[in-house]
Amino acid sequence: MNVEKLLNELVSKKLQTQTRRHFLLDCVSKMGGLAMAPLLFGCELGKDGTLKSGLNLSDRDLNPLSPLPSPFLGKAKSIIYLHMAGAPSQLELFDFKPELAKYHDQDCPESLLEGRKFAFIRGVPKMLGPQAKFSQHGQSGAWISDYLPHFSKVADEVAFLKAMHTDQFNHGPAQLFMQTGSPRLGRPSLGSWVTYGLGTENQNLPGFVVLTSGGKTPDAGKSVWGSGFLPSVYQGVQCRSKGDPVLYLEDPNGMSRDLKKHVISAINESNQEDFQNFGDPEILARINQYEMAYRMQIEVPEVMNINDEPEHIHQLYGTQPGEESFANNCLLARKLVEKGVRVVQLYDWGWDMHGTDHDGSIDMGLRNKCRQIDRPMTALLLDLKQRGLLEETLVVWGGEFGRTPMQENREGKKMGFLGRDHHVDAFTVWMAGGGVKKGASYGITDDFGFAGVDERTSVHDLHATILHLMGFDHEKFTYEFQGRPFRLTDVHGELIHRILA
Amino acid sequence: MLTNRLALILSLLIGITLIGFFFFGAEKEVDFSTEIKPILNKHCISCHGGVKKSGGFSLLFEEEAFAPTESGHPAIVPGSASSSELIKRLTHSDPELRMPYQRAQLSEEEIELLKEWIDQGAKWGKHWAYEPVQEPKLPANTTTASLGATESNPLAPIDFFVREKLEAQGLSPSSQENSMRLLRRVALDITGLPPSDELVKDFSSGKISYEQAVDQLLSSEAYGEKWATWWLDLARYADTKGYERDVSRTFWPYRDWVIRAFNADKPFDEFTVEQLAGDLLPNPSQDQLTATAFHRNTMNNDEGGTEDEEFRVAAVLDRVSTTFEVWQSTTMACVQCHSHPYDPIRHEEFFESLAFFNNTRDEDTHDEEPKLRFYEAEDQAKVEQIINWASENEGKSAAKQRSDFLKFYEPKYAAHLATDFQLSELIDTKWLGLWPGGSAVYKNIDTQGSDQILLDYWSGVDGTKMTIRKDGPEGEVLASFVINKTQGEVIREIPFKPVQGKINLYIEAQNPRAKPQQNTSSIVWFAFVPSLKGKEKSGFATVKKSWDELLQFRGTRLPILIENPEYMARPTFVFERGNWMVPGEKVSPKAPKELGTWKSEWPANRLGFAYWLTAPENPLTARTLVNRVWDQLFGRGLVATLEDMGTQSEPPTHPELLDYLAWKTVNDYDWSIKSLIREIVTSATYQQSSVISTEAFQKDPKNQWYARGPRFRLSAEQIRDQALVSSGLLSRKMYGKPVMPTQPEGIWQTVYNGESWKESEGEDKYRRSVYTFLKRTSPYPSFISFDAGSREVCLSKRLVTNTPLQALATLNDPVYLDAAKALSQKVWEESGKSPDTAIQKVYQQLVFLPISESKKTTMLQLFRTAKSEFDKDPKAREEFFPGADSSLAALTVATNAMMNLDEFLTKP
Repeated sequence: MNVEKLLNELVSKKLQTQTRRHFLLDCVSKMGGLAMAPLLFGCELGKDGTLKSGLNLSDRDLNPLSPLPSPFLGKAKSIIYLHMAGAPSQLELFDFKPELAKYHDQDCPESLLEGRKFAFIRGVPKMLGPQAKFSQHGQSGAWISDYLPHFSKVADEVAFLKAMHTDQFNHGPAQLFMQTGSPRLGRPSLGSWVTYGLGTENQNLPGFVVLTSGGKTPDAGKSVWGSGFLPSVYQGVQCRSKGDPVLYLEDPNGMSRDLKKHVISAINESNQEDFQNFGDPEILARINQYEMAYRMQIEVPEVMNINDEPEHIHQLYGTQPGEESFANNCLLARKLVEKGVRVVQLYDWGWDMHGTDHDGSIDMGLRNKCRQIDRPMTALLLDLKQRGLLEETLVVWGGEFGRTPMQENREGKKMGFLGRDHHVDAFTVWMAGGGVKKGASYGITDDFGFAGVDERTSVHDLHATILHLMGFDHEKFTYEFQGRPFRLTDVHGELIHRILA
Repeated sequence: MLTNRLALILSLLIGITLIGFFFFGAEKEVDFSTEIKPILNKHCISCHGGVKKSGGFSLLFEEEAFAPTESGHPAIVPGSASSSELIKRLTHSDPELRMPYQRAQLSEEEIELLKEWIDQGAKWGKHWAYEPVQEPKLPANTTTASLGATESNPLAPIDFFVREKLEAQGLSPSSQENSMRLLRRVALDITGLPPSDELVKDFSSGKISYEQAVDQLLSSEAYGEKWATWWLDLARYADTKGYERDVSRTFWPYRDWVIRAFNADKPFDEFTVEQLAGDLLPNPSQDQLTATAFHRNTMNNDEGGTEDEEFRVAAVLDRVSTTFEVWQSTTMACVQCHSHPYDPIRHEEFFESLAFFNNTRDEDTHDEEPKLRFYEAEDQAKVEQIINWASENEGKSAAKQRSDFLKFYEPKYAAHLATDFQLSELIDTKWLGLWPGGSAVYKNIDTQGSDQILLDYWSGVDGTKMTIRKDGPEGEVLASFVINKTQGEVIREIPFKPVQGKINLYIEAQNPRAKPQQNTSSIVWFAFVPSLKGKEKSGFATVKKSWDELLQFRGTRLPILIENPEYMARPTFVFERGNWMVPGEKVSPKAPKELGTWKSEWPANRLGFAYWLTAPENPLTARTLVNRVWDQLFGRGLVATLEDMGTQSEPPTHPELLDYLAWKTVNDYDWSIKSLIREIVTSATYQQSSVISTEAFQKDPKNQWYARGPRFRLSAEQIRDQALVSSGLLSRKMYGKPVMPTQPEGIWQTVYNGESWKESEGEDKYRRSVYTFLKRTSPYPSFISFDAGSREVCLSKRLVTNTPLQALATLNDPVYLDAAKALSQKVWEESGKSPDTAIQKVYQQLVFLPISESKKTTMLQLFRTAKSEFDKDPKAREEFFPGADSSLAALTVATNAMMNLDEFLTKP
């Protein structure tokens, strides 16, 4: 039964691509003079065989974001990536280390410090026991702390990667590494790769949407959703909660929607004439572009408006319309995915708990920060599930590295608050939804939670697994640049089979 | 007819033989680079190449290919295919031995070709791009006649090469473009702007020829602004440092230098030498020093907790990669970790190249020193006064040192070199902070026997007693002084006991009033500049006062390259597997052998390297330049992969043309880019009409054979600038600080950075786009939509994409509405308030052609619809265009539409 369903899907996808070959000259000559009827899209599926002369163009020639089937059927159709910028402490959230508590406030053993560099720790720091209370949850018995009371209830939906490691201990490079597979600039982001490979289902919305909260963009700047050497059309589009949700989306003051419709019609009619004169298919792409812009102007504000959501949804997420919050962004993520957006990336800034002040403390600041995300990220999973979307949506949560089991002693000084320094050897990422094994846990760290001792997972492994779930073989998904095929995973990456459903 | 055909065949034959390019060897001899190398690269080299050498066999370098393998015997026996293991393995019956291992067998033709090649002696050859450019032989006019040349209109060499290929593809050239469209095309290409009214008048009346129009455009100052934009993408020029904090930096003097260099048509070899090594030229001028900022465009990481050395190394690696990409179309990033998988460049050669660049003073410090000081006239007078004084009183060499110090404050030691911290810290991993009773050590410091130390610091507490000792806490006191609260950063001269040779400096602070763990000061750097001599002479006080004042200079300062003095020289090591923390063998500066020969008269430093790059014998520099300029004009390079001409690149579509232009640029034009552009834009190929027939499109969708003129969407900068020119809003003010035109609120949200976008006032809102402030982590939004980059790394080619966000920008971004309003207002009055005339005029103003009846009807219809809406809704009208009547507002709507037409956004 399942196999049959898969095969059917494959065949229909293939058919779709075949029938979507365009014979555009014909299309264009037929549509002249029509005002704002779905001009090109009406033609797109037209099967009129009486063509005088045809330019055989693919969807992608007209629209680089048109959907493509994945090389093999991925379980997930879209991805929501929740990046906690600044890197939350795994030791207060998911990686329970009772042994560490015993060593609280004792000098860090030399063996952990030898030959290592930390961003701020100097000399011999003290160990810092877990500041949260842990208990086991669900059938899977996952350890989750009391910082995340809501999330604990969906423990069985999630697969944890507990022995993640990276090699970058500064935020900027580490975020780039996490999102582009390289700590240096110039590589396409994960979201760009996926959007390049799959296009997007809804042409009235951007294919790759970025939402930020916490008042700042991530440390590495917009490059974390940049397209690198891929065409810039595949970069993430930041949608904002204040001002135009997409830049320049709003019509000029005093210009009605109806008048804008006439403007677009006039532009496209003139462009059609030019296409007939010049024969340059780029003009067709331009016509398409203006129609899409017009429809985007309608659909983006609709999807970005959460006012009309029912009260129980607001309660579920804890949303407050009008503000820029992680909660609002979670709800938006669900709406966007529901509408066919391929990649939604959330960045929440403010997870860098060094112990320099109250907000930056592991016992107080982190707890507050967790309150901001606990309910909404739980709601996101529940809401996707109740809509039947979780099966086809991959949700990933994590930071760019972990935190040290030692208490930070910035430049050798005692800090005013409890903090942990950046740490590359161990941190936790969780995944849920499309194709992920429910209630799984992969990766074991040592008694201090300092480093993985078994089932260690690199950033490349994570990428390989995400791409697999989206329907790509990470070793074959390449783009030719500088005379060689580039991959998101470079020459690395092992698929983590144990967390696949 | 028959004679024509014969003549054609004959001429082609003669042409080919005469041209005698290396692509066509003697008859039937198998050519290594075009026939064999591609087979090896495709099937063999991933296991037998730069990364892996399975079985001890590699096909990357000649000597490796013929060397004994693990079996003890060479795999290739020249002259005997049958005894060559390589051939045997291709057809072996045992699948474990048959190559390529576990992959499909090579085709029969491929195997035959390999056999033939070995039987003929297995002659190794170079990839075409590594062969020096040869002087081309041009066909006689009689030869070109068959390709459409006439006596009165002989074919330009470019056209000969292009038509030869067209013929072969079964395509024919297009007729000449409509003259006004052509003028608009060439104006946009040369100046980035549409032609001026005057040029349009002179050209359309026949007062000046096309060639004269081209010359006028090339001599306009707008040319430099347009072509600088191209270069600044390669130079990764931006107005911020990049990385996490991404704060502003002063870099615009470099951008201005580039614009001026283009306008002066500075020969490309000089242009190159000055940017890569201007500081090493004898007595470098301010301009030559400014040019070296090219390689200071690398990013600078201010993130707390980052080690400066890591990011210094990152910057140097970037400089090497960028240099090879920009001048050699060669990818060096691979070679950082292992020998190049495809191109003949060895792992250690990367580091030998790196050694040229690894010896500059900059160290990813927060202040980005060394920086060139731009003194205003008054301060410059003081500089000269001091230098004169020093020449008289200190001798020539000391005066030179003092003069250099005033220019760029080097040599000096950055605070981050401190070690052995006791009760002290490197504040935010940047500045030395000594707590009360704290100390730190600076190792291997050469004080040059100076009698004073210059200290750059700031402090928030009074009464810190500082002591500098030789070696350690018990060492000889070299300096002792008190630091008090300062108003910001200061540079202070402190007497210092002269010592010779390299020593360790132990620096300590005492302050009973400061709290424990409080930083008594933040030390930025120190330098050893002797005190000004001639104290006893009259006039000393004035000169000393000038010196003191100049030390507090806060004006324009531009990061530049300055070479380490010998006593600070930095050795270069191979990084094992590309990891900077694992140094391997020590290397000295050398250029990659395969890419050109090194002349013994060149110094073994960046200057010599720049000479090597620009020597006529270098096979890649001129080809790269020509390819990039061609791409700017035709939207596609003769080698399509602009960033790579190596063995994996697409072969050139027109190899002879590429070499012809490369030769000519170096030898006849003396590296003049203007001459190169002129030659291209005056060719018939460039001047062709861009109309495409369906048939021609299907034969050549990418226009790589040039059967039609280049037609593609304008760049981000051109689109904005064109709108501003057409509406009369563009300010022609050149140079200076970057400007901030209107940008939506809330775009800048960088962490740990309090800077904000402050909208420029007056004409600065409407300056050319090249002057727009470029923040790397958050570039000007509409430029990004139109494929401009963030300038974090070198960008050889902007891929042109098409997204609805572009339409939203040109429809709704206030700058385009301002332009539509301004243009409508101007035209409305001039047209006697006739909508019909006004629409014609607007269109004419935008694309320099009369509007077609049907388009006019469409736009008039739009005008009427808008007018009736605005008549009905005066409030909307007032919101849309305050102060305008319904007609003017409606015309603005139509103008906004016309400014969004494909033909307006596209180079015709």
